[in-house]
Amino acid sequence: MKQCVAAIALAILFVYPAIAADTMPVEAPAVAGPATGLADLAALRATVFGTPPQDIAPLPEKVPVFQMDLALPWAQPVPAVYWFDRRLRVWFSAQDKPAPLAIVIAGTGGDGNTAKLSILRAVLYGAGYHVLTMPSPTFPGFIVSASSTGVAGDLMQDGRDLYGAIQQIISHLPRKVRITDIDILGYSLGGANAAVVKSIDASERRLNIHRALMINPPVSLFSSVGRLDKLYAITLGNGDAGVERFYQQLYATLANLYRASDRVQLDEDFLFEAAASVLRTKAEFSTAIALTFRIALINVFFAGDLYSGSGVVVDPKHPPGADASLDDTFRILRSKPFSEYFTRVFAPYYLRRRPGSTVDELIAGNRLDAIGDALRNDPDYYAQTNSDDLILDAPELDWLQRTLGARIQVYDHGGHLGNLGDRQQVTDMLDMLGGRWKERAQ
Amino acid sequence: MSAGAPLTALLLSLAGCASQSVQFHHLPPDTPAANNAVNLEKALALAAQAASAAKSVKPDAAEEPVLVTPADAPPLTTYDPWGKFNRSMYRFNARFDEALFWPAANGYRRLPAPLRAGVHNFFGNLGEVSSVINYTLQGRLGHGVRSLGRFVINSTLGLGGLFDVAVKLNLPKAPTGFGTTLARWGMHPGPYWVIPIYGPSTLREGIGLAADYATSYAINAADLYRGNKSWALGTLNAVDTRANVDFRYYASGSPFEYETIRFLYVRKLLIEDGGLPGSAPPKRIDPNAPAGE
Repeated sequence: MKQCVAAIALAILFVYPAIAADTMPVEAPAVAGPATGLADLAALRATVFGTPPQDIAPLPEKVPVFQMDLALPWAQPVPAVYWFDRRLRVWFSAQDKPAPLAIVIAGTGGDGNTAKLSILRAVLYGAGYHVLTMPSPTFPGFIVSASSTGVAGDLMQDGRDLYGAIQQIISHLPRKVRITDIDILGYSLGGANAAVVKSIDASERRLNIHRALMINPPVSLFSSVGRLDKLYAITLGNGDAGVERFYQQLYATLANLYRASDRVQLDEDFLFEAAASVLRTKAEFSTAIALTFRIALINVFFAGDLYSGSGVVVDPKHPPGADASLDDTFRILRSKPFSEYFTRVFAPYYLRRRPGSTVDELIAGNRLDAIGDALRNDPDYYAQTNSDDLILDAPELDWLQRTLGARIQVYDHGGHLGNLGDRQQVTDMLDMLGGRWKERAQ
Repeated sequence: MSAGAPLTALLLSLAGCASQSVQFHHLPPDTPAANNAVNLEKALALAAQAASAAKSVKPDAAEEPVLVTPADAPPLTTYDPWGKFNRSMYRFNARFDEALFWPAANGYRRLPAPLRAGVHNFFGNLGEVSSVINYTLQGRLGHGVRSLGRFVINSTLGLGGLFDVAVKLNLPKAPTGFGTTLARWGMHPGPYWVIPIYGPSTLREGIGLAADYATSYAINAADLYRGNKSWALGTLNAVDTRANVDFRYYASGSPFEYETIRFLYVRKLLIEDGGLPGSAPPKRIDPNAPAGE
């Protein structure tokens, strides 16, 4: 709840003029169907508020944790504006006896210590795993310290960077950490990342990853984010009027709630209460979700533009310094949809880097069916998702079910990650990772 | 903050070995069961509150006129004429926090919880004196009496402030300071100002902090400000305060963190001021400090 409130507050930042894209030599992938995918009002509510505390699986009292900051040998020179992101930061919870390791990857834009990762860390540690929680390859700290390109969002490239980073992390673990087996999982985009890392490991054999679990994964990366672009356009429009109106309304609502309360400080508890009043309708939840995603996109866009030298918002000849004002850059970026990142930064960069490749190949390479054979034939891939997930449409959900067969569990409700950590999800997750799912399915 | 070389060395060692390719930071353990219990308590309280509000919705609605309208929202830009100074100070604060303040607070958080609670309550109780004075200056005598009540009860029954007994007697903590007093007197927040070590603020809040410090210095309760041990106690107070702030510089990983914090901090302040345009900052934007949000 706390995290969603913070996200809503941050979302206020995104109000401002949407600037029409200049000529686009590359076309963004088109998205059909509703912008909210399979989600209804209950699903959107669950997506924003997360699993209610009364439904959370039993959690351990204490989970030891240490933070590791690593300098990776292949990292690119750090631009001055990213002076604080030199090292990859991950979190590790170690058992005091030999144990399997669960590597958990965050969803789009998430660092290695999100609230969702904390829940997964707790239940996995409680079930006897060492737990390594990793940022998403779309988190700026990862892009700067661990990406070999700086242009995030390519499933295979991000998978290779993650794979390299995980090897470095494991090689630097304290000696007392004794690992008996390695499983990998992730939520949302992190789920797709986890599956790709396992598929890379299947040929390179450096880690011998045993099982991989995808929680609420996208099937086509660009379709999912295209849907979120569309959701933004529907709820806030492409101009500044809608977004400015949203900001003003939210400000007035919060100010009146605050005035009506007896509080002397606007604190987290106030925002916790206010969120329940502010968010009620499908449109309001949709706005919050679309804005939250746009926040993550701004960071990906800026880094990609800077590293690739695309020159959309950063002059490649005069990159910003450590104390440079980024006000103007920010104002321009918050109006830019993912489709523009794709057409002006991502696609030109990867087409240049992979001579002979086409836009269609880029799009296809970012669908889970790029590793479809592995998902279909290797019994160690698993998935959990919901029949009302907003990042999927019906054909995509169908594809997941046909591809994974008995190795996917589809819940009726939960939206996108709105049941992560609940008793059933956790029980099933532990059975899947522990190799007990097959017997259960039979 | 500079309490001598030994302390600095200790804190640096807590920060890890900066030259190695990997640094380890041992953190206080997560307490997921307790955290979820707190979330559950809040959710149940919220549900109960919503249920009782639903029962008495009509009288409440009549008593609470809507005062702030969307047209009263401040502009998206934030008055930041000292942006250049502020940005470099934000960077300095981030470095200071990462090297010294956060590791010290992190070490402190590994001490037994009852001990930390005692320290926190003790300093909080001393702060009640300033709250009583400022609530009086603000003309909010009811709040002032509550703070005075808390001070008397916690100083006696709470063994010199080590225990917050008053909160159990339905007298919750509600600190205030001279910055809020100035706001109640109609002073605008003024330009955004990143204060060394302290962090995000505005000119008005900065003046308020200085006045609060001067008041505390004059009163010198528990010899905290002028006695032989004032450095040690002041450092403990600062570390305790830091340990209770759930924020870490650049946890966002984002180069836009300065803009984000500035926007949120100033909107929070404006809403605390009442949310009306009379309390909005001046709309003039310095041409040398491009508009932020």
